[in-house]
Amino acid sequence: MSGEAPKYIEFGAYSRHVPPTIPVAVQQATGRFLGTRAARVAEMENWEALRQAASDLRLHTLAHLDVYLERLEQQVTAAGGRVYWARDAAEARAHVLGIARGCGARTVVKVKSMATEEIGLNHAFEQAGIQPFETDLGEYIIQLAGTGPSHIIVPAVHLKKEEIAALFREKLGVDAPADPVALTAIARAALRERFLAAKMGVSGANFLVAETGTLVVVTNEGNGRMCTTVPEVHVAVVGIDKVVPDWESLTVLLKLLARSATGQKLSTYTSFITGPRRSDGEGGPKELHLVLLDNGRSRILADEVARETLKCIRCGCCLNVCPVYKNVGGFAYGWFISGPIGAIFTPQMLGTRAGRELPYASTLCGACVDVCPVKIPITKILLHLRRRIAQGDRVAPPSAPLATRVAARLARWSLATGWLYRLGARVTPILEAPLARDGWIRWLPAPLNRWTQVRPMPAFRGGFRAWWAAHTKGRSTP
Amino acid sequence: MQRPVQLFVTCLGEQFYPNVLQQMVAILERLGFTVEFPAAQTCCGQPLYNGGFQDQARGVARGFLHAFGEGDTPIVSPSGSCVDMVRHHFLELFPPGSAEHELARGMAGRTFEFSEYLVRKLGITDVGARFPHQVAYHASCHHLRGLGLATEAKQLLAAVKDIELVPLPEEETCCGFGGVFSVVYPEVSRAMMQAKVRNIIGTGAAAVVACDAGCLMNIAGGLRQAGSQVRAMHLIEVLASQGSAR
Amino acid sequence: MSAKGGAVIDSVRRALRREAGAPVPARPEILPARAAAEAEAEVEVDLLLKEVTALAGVAQRVSQAEVGASLRRLVEQEDVRRATCWNTPRLRALDIEGQLRACGVEMVPPRADKHALAQCDLGVTEADFALPETGTLGLLSSPEKPRGVSLLPRVHLALVSRSALRADLHQVFTEAKAHPYLILISGPSRTSDIELTVTLGVHGPRALHLWVLDDRR
Repeated sequence: MSGEAPKYIEFGAYSRHVPPTIPVAVQQATGRFLGTRAARVAEMENWEALRQAASDLRLHTLAHLDVYLERLEQQVTAAGGRVYWARDAAEARAHVLGIARGCGARTVVKVKSMATEEIGLNHAFEQAGIQPFETDLGEYIIQLAGTGPSHIIVPAVHLKKEEIAALFREKLGVDAPADPVALTAIARAALRERFLAAKMGVSGANFLVAETGTLVVVTNEGNGRMCTTVPEVHVAVVGIDKVVPDWESLTVLLKLLARSATGQKLSTYTSFITGPRRSDGEGGPKELHLVLLDNGRSRILADEVARETLKCIRCGCCLNVCPVYKNVGGFAYGWFISGPIGAIFTPQMLGTRAGRELPYASTLCGACVDVCPVKIPITKILLHLRRRIAQGDRVAPPSAPLATRVAARLARWSLATGWLYRLGARVTPILEAPLARDGWIRWLPAPLNRWTQVRPMPAFRGGFRAWWAAHTKGRSTP
Repeated sequence: MQRPVQLFVTCLGEQFYPNVLQQMVAILERLGFTVEFPAAQTCCGQPLYNGGFQDQARGVARGFLHAFGEGDTPIVSPSGSCVDMVRHHFLELFPPGSAEHELARGMAGRTFEFSEYLVRKLGITDVGARFPHQVAYHASCHHLRGLGLATEAKQLLAAVKDIELVPLPEEETCCGFGGVFSVVYPEVSRAMMQAKVRNIIGTGAAAVVACDAGCLMNIAGGLRQAGSQVRAMHLIEVLASQGSAR
Repeated sequence: MSAKGGAVIDSVRRALRREAGAPVPARPEILPARAAAEAEAEVEVDLLLKEVTALAGVAQRVSQAEVGASLRRLVEQEDVRRATCWNTPRLRALDIEGQLRACGVEMVPPRADKHALAQCDLGVTEADFALPETGTLGLLSSPEKPRGVSLLPRVHLALVSRSALRADLHQVFTEAKAHPYLILISGPSRTSDIELTVTLGVHGPRALHLWVLDDRR
């Protein structure tokens, strides 16, 4: 995978050829997570109140983000950390590489971090002659395989244990049986070496607490702790939207995060890191560096409707309920973030010209809206982005193909013009008659064949108005 | 004196399900209503709105406003998604303070989906129907989540004589129609539709019932494609039934 | 603030249409903790043991008198050759180091380097906090309580006093926020990344043992 963000997201092309193993694997994962989530939600009598509180809190923070960011920087610095600001991915990469060169790192161990994928950090490291090691087991596997993630939480779920064993045999040169326990042990041993050797650990953060300048890092595996404790230098790359006002805010968000993601009450490890270690021998890094990433987030903030996209706490629950995602998997969304959140985040980050296929990758069913722990109005934002694509708005000119825009005008004309609509209703059954058999039409010319290539269309029937006229004959009101 | 009610037939309803519209009229008249049909109506503009073409949708919605006019006569429709459009999205299309915005506001308050009107407004769950068959219910997305109608259709079905309602696995999962979605991403639409059809056939029911023409077109076509004899019926067809499935 | 920082903050302000120095209202009220009925301490201990066990931890009450025998059993079960231990008054008073040495275990100082700690089979700590509701332990860090002890060895033994019990996260955070480091631990290290099969001991300890010290018996 190259370091640059994709130039165009080809959701359509990918969705036409989804390997059948993908939906099967993805649906196993999503089914499991939704099942355990349901048990957790049933236990909590105040689940809806928690969601509302989380939504209000996130909106408040975003609406006053300037102040919270200033406070965060002050506090991180007071705690002995160093803060760097990155207006875009290039500046973020430059900061991180600068720190790596400064400490002479030849290898780097990384906790799973979507922000580092966003900026293409691994590629930048490799170009600079520094070897990055993903340490989250799923990320480690797909790094070895050279592919992207099929799911936010379990990125390698599309791979069978036999494939992973073959991968380990090939890339690690070890005898690897097709058994999850043995494979995990191999990865543990291999990565242990890396943790102990690396001069620098790179992480993201689930939250940044402005009150005290604290980074919150959540994992189940312990690699979050390893990367942020063992190497002498810790660098965190975090989007500016991850700020929360204070520790108390975390009580709401942490209650929602793991339950929404995997149905756990809390993930195994939640680290709260405020500055580098205070004394030698205590463990932890000597240096703590925080790179704060804008890269288009402030632009999204400016759009009051779409701003709610930034409330996201990356739980992955919207993916788990989305019937579209569950039939295509993560690759179709073309970048590191997929599912409903990907369909609204990516077109805003990359622009609607590059991401114009994504907001239409939804039936607007609303299942995601029901489960999002921070109540992002995803369908509302999808429609907002569709409007930007179809007819343009203050942010961007239209990027829908001309043919579509012309078709929309024709559709408006025929639907809004009474006599034309009624004429069309009378004429269409006649035109269709040769194509209809038993009340069904199995073939239509392109582009209407997009319907009939999947299932037959019922024949136009009409006739209601004539029936009504007869029904109300003699009646005074029409 | 009979109470008036205005019919909002919907573009898909008028073109593909005129029998459902006739049956709806029959049920309403049996309940003592004088049914009116504002003939200038065409479409609510939802397909254009969902496509992102809000300016074009406005033109169509304007026609709707003028067709139905002012007043407080309830407007009743056999389609949850169309009612969702009128109730929740019309107001976005017209600038606040304008005459059309006020008209839209009034319309939003008096437009109802059929099962919603019967159960929530009239308090009626039994319309005297008989349908002696196993039936599965598909919860259309806009009907369920857009209008918040989780139980009304089922209440009406439960009161039908000799009916047996069987649970449909993944009842609330989208069938894959999604309006423009079905022609923009037909392969994904197919996968979703086939999953829905498999679930329906697996129940062994003679019919699947839904409250949205788009879902019904999609599911009916899918059942036919699968060679299944299961009928896809509108709720109104079951409620108008006096005995046979055919 | 640096120039780039200023630029980002300005971008944010422009987006929000806020002036520098504009006030920030208080953030929305956080839901207060559910008023837990004054739970009896033993009920809370029972809940803690149950939740930790559900997470595949090994949890039990251990009286002071039993510590030595329990350590011996643990050393055998988990095949411990080398261990390290926090240097806190409580653990010194219990003579954890001495008792482990008596089992033939080589003791490594807790402030030893990462390689030495990684060679240990067992790390022994206390818990600064314990949350029964979720089976969670909270550990701070200090020169006497190094972070690596609960992380690098493959077995983690945490001794919990009743005084560490807390009702909820609100209580833990009120105290912990003054400290530079807190780790909340809920069970042993785990993953389901390979075909959704849960496996333990990915990077953190494979086994978590929790002993609630029973001072009464």
